[in-house]
Amino acid sequence: MKVEYVNPFVCAAFSVIEMVIGVKPVKGTLTARPSLFTSQQCNVITGVTGQVEGQVIYGMSLITADKVASAMLGQPIRTFDQLAASAIGELGNMISGNASTALAEAGFQCDITPPSIVRGTNVKISTLNIPALVVPVMLPDIGEIEIIVSLQDRR
Amino acid sequence: MAKRVLITDDALFMRVTLKNILTKGGYEIAGEASNGLESVELYKQTKPDLVTMDITMPEMDGITALKEIKKADPQANVIMCTAMGQKSMVMEAVAAGARDFIVKPFQPEKVLEAVQKIIG
Ligand SMILES: [Mg+2]
Repeated sequence: MKVEYVNPFVCAAFSVIEMVIGVKPVKGTLTARPSLFTSQQCNVITGVTGQVEGQVIYGMSLITADKVASAMLGQPIRTFDQLAASAIGELGNMISGNASTALAEAGFQCDITPPSIVRGTNVKISTLNIPALVVPVMLPDIGEIEIIVSLQDRR
Repeated sequence: MAKRVLITDDALFMRVTLKNILTKGGYEIAGEASNGLESVELYKQTKPDLVTMDITMPEMDGITALKEIKKADPQANVIMCTAMGQKSMVMEAVAAGARDFIVKPFQPEKVLEAVQKIIG
């Protein structure tokens, strides 16, 4: 998997998070995974189609998901309801959407699919052994969001 | 009488956000659609003054819904409100008759300005 496909998602995550959550994220170390899986409790999965295709996952703990949703809604949430889940989903949608714009500008036309939210640990998303690159992003006072990117050129 | 806006977005969070912004701006909400298909139906039923249209949605995407709405009513005022801002997407929306194109995330003022410019 090309590293140049990861940077647009990290850049988009930084600008979207700063704007909708109001904190300055800190980037962690890039690692690789042999296949697309997540060990996080709350995951937003977005699909990418076009000249570049695959999936991008935003994974976080339930506590972080609560804090992210609270920040986006402007008030603490009592239960992780449909509104809170849709806020987390929309965060992933905005990051992937903005990243797809950057990818298109770099010459890789692509579209994204509506986000789906998967809760539960050790979720293997794809049975194909397409490697994934992972960038953890630390949000001060909120927690960590793992950006898991598994994209390849369309065959 | 207050001008009426139909909100279209698959994310409940975004519908609530847009509803708050528009209500505070003095607009009435004609309806809320969670996909393109619902938006086209609600447009015909409620005849709003303006539609906010997301693009990435299940069932029917916002570009298709925009085209369907313009087919039903060539005078329809539709502004796109989407996370995708690639030139090809903006050009397709404008060619299909979208009046404006707002990229998410947005500032509330940006939405009100765009709506005001079109329907006052
Ligand atoms: Mg959407």
